[in-house]
Amino acid sequence: MTQFKRRDILKGMGGLAGLSLMGAGTLRTALAQGMASEEAWKQASGTTIQFISENTPPTTAIAANLDAFKALTGITVNITEMQLGALVQKVALDFGAGRSAYDVIYADPYQVLAPYHRGLVDLNTFIKDGQQPVVPKGIEDFIPSQLAAAGRFENADALYALPYDCPTMIWIYRRDLFEKYRDKMRQELGFDPMPTDDTTWEQYYQIAAWFSNGNASEVKYGTGHQAQQYDSLMCDFSNVLFAYGGSYFANGQQIGLYGTDSPGACQLTSDASLEAARFYQKLLKVAHPGSTSWDWTGVANAFQNGEFAMMPEWHEFAGSLESSDLKGKIGYAPLPKGPARSANLWGGTGIGINANASPEKQKAAWLFLVWATSPQTQLMGLKSQVGGGTPTRQSVYAMPEVKAASKPPTDMPNMLTADTMLIAWRDDHIGLRPKIPQWNEVDTVIFTELSKMLAGQMSPEETMQSAKQRIDRIVGA
Amino acid sequence: MMSPALFLLALITLVPFFSIIWMSFNNVSLMGGLTLEFSGLDNWRRVFTDPDIRASWLISLVYFLATVGLEMLIGTVMALLVYSLRRGSNIIISLLLIPMFIAPVIVGLLGRFMLDPSHGLYAWILNETGLFDGNILGSVGSAMTAVILMDVWEWTPLVALIVLAGLTSVPEDTLEAAEMDGANYRQKLLYIILPSISNILLVALLIRAMDAIRFFAIIFITTNGGPADSTKIIPIRLYDIAFRFFDLGYAAAVGITMLVFSILVANAFTKLLKRRESAS
Repeated sequence: MTQFKRRDILKGMGGLAGLSLMGAGTLRTALAQGMASEEAWKQASGTTIQFISENTPPTTAIAANLDAFKALTGITVNITEMQLGALVQKVALDFGAGRSAYDVIYADPYQVLAPYHRGLVDLNTFIKDGQQPVVPKGIEDFIPSQLAAAGRFENADALYALPYDCPTMIWIYRRDLFEKYRDKMRQELGFDPMPTDDTTWEQYYQIAAWFSNGNASEVKYGTGHQAQQYDSLMCDFSNVLFAYGGSYFANGQQIGLYGTDSPGACQLTSDASLEAARFYQKLLKVAHPGSTSWDWTGVANAFQNGEFAMMPEWHEFAGSLESSDLKGKIGYAPLPKGPARSANLWGGTGIGINANASPEKQKAAWLFLVWATSPQTQLMGLKSQVGGGTPTRQSVYAMPEVKAASKPPTDMPNMLTADTMLIAWRDDHIGLRPKIPQWNEVDTVIFTELSKMLAGQMSPEETMQSAKQRIDRIVGA
Repeated sequence: MMSPALFLLALITLVPFFSIIWMSFNNVSLMGGLTLEFSGLDNWRRVFTDPDIRASWLISLVYFLATVGLEMLIGTVMALLVYSLRRGSNIIISLLLIPMFIAPVIVGLLGRFMLDPSHGLYAWILNETGLFDGNILGSVGSAMTAVILMDVWEWTPLVALIVLAGLTSVPEDTLEAAEMDGANYRQKLLYIILPSISNILLVALLIRAMDAIRFFAIIFITTNGGPADSTKIIPIRLYDIAFRFFDLGYAAAVGITMLVFSILVANAFTKLLKRRESAS
């Protein structure tokens, strides 16, 4: 209790000192003072740290605003941005060499956290250290499902990363076309086509087929998918798999949240999984034929080019779509539900600290983590002209200016998806792939076998059987 | 005097070479520092029993024969045509060589762009002319054809350039004598020109063959081995094993088999070359 009071006094003194030094400063600086004293922020001044990140919108925004962090802490941050695959290689080799070429790591839950969590610092070390800045509003402010999925492995105590970005798959559709043809579709299909919480995948298929049959001159096809033989195909299929009640492993949601070293036998031959595979094959038959050569970017480009009316896509594409000719014509909704639920695959990531880094650099890295994931920095990201992701904190969504920005016209286009996302991240809506160390191999099996199914080389039953056999061999079940 | 040179040579060739051989007999872990756990012949047993590896070798072989065969054929024809030009050959050669100056990654990106079913120019032309109405890079068969043609587009000019250099050594007097004897172009080609440049053709074949075995960037960018593994040649499979699964011991074994294959192909060509030289 005494320590807490002392810290508060220090914070207050630091805040006053900071405010007097900077002439009241910006709102951001004032908020930073609320997290810690000037002294605490300056404790690693002069240190240079290396941050390796996937080339994602939040990092682009952070990179453009590093001067604010340097002014606050005196720490220089060098950011290396690259494709996720290349990042994983560099991080793996860094850990393998037992060194710290990178101090702050974009810790993808599946490719970095699960196999290499022992190489990351347990952040509780800093959270419980009274000399360090507090995580503003506590770690409870992070969206709970994201905190567990991005930050933990195998138990609910150790925390290896703070949620940093949160792309999640949702239903993105041409609202203008749905509104224009609503009555006609309702008459011909027998249901209201406007996406709601009750829309099913079967209805999605019927809407897709309706558009693909040439009923709307504006688009050639109803739906497009990211079904290239790549990670994107697994993501696209997983939405359907989970919605139908299928799963890669038993207790899938738990394995998705906390991860495990030994997931047990693969569940892809269950009745629900087989039904999902059959439906997915049927759906792709009416989809734009380009789907089998598109990843997430390819399908978004084709949507933007007016090739089809709707798609399952990462919500963060809203920013670029709302800057295109389609501005104001797009609608967002959680993905349709199957017999079990609506599942919206989450693809977020946290940032963690390399355990091989020196204590000085670890301190500097922690300061960066606190700052980079703070509500005010996330708000800055939302307003950024160079990118910026969507917040991982509940308090940001509650800010009046953010709430106001969730309706058009807006200067925060990603926020147009906010209402949808808050549903998509609920425990009963979020789709989580297995967090296991062998994920890359398992993922490759899944998208390779699915690709064979879409190419007509295997039936859904053969596909799921073959995938199960291979996955069981990989995980040793 | 030789010692420093030998030491350097060992450092840049022998040490990595023996390291990779040693790795192929171990399970390699990267966590907590590099550790090697001896696993005997496990990795090698996998190399020869893994059906995926077998499938990738088969695809590689198809790809290898198609690219090298087409490049040799088209490159030679191109060189003969350019050689027969009386004017403007320099401009034609300059234009001809442009593709091989483009980085393979860019060729892959270009191919992906031109063949995209929604906005690709080539996809549109094929569709409009009724020659192909499917998804070129997303369908089995057409994807393989597309990546083969991309490689052929990029590297045929190299073959043409080498053959063109060889054509300058064809004895003019022999050609003139043949003409005087009434030989037509086909006869001159078959009995004088091609035999005269056969060694240079072998050199071109060797260079392209070595490169085709290591082919990677274009497929990685365009299809990533898909659809349905139809373009997963052995270097793409090796990349997955080494840098996606980090199964480095197994990757070392697969890599060594590629090296052995390259050496066998190179030896076969050089032996052929020597035999021809001694015969002439």
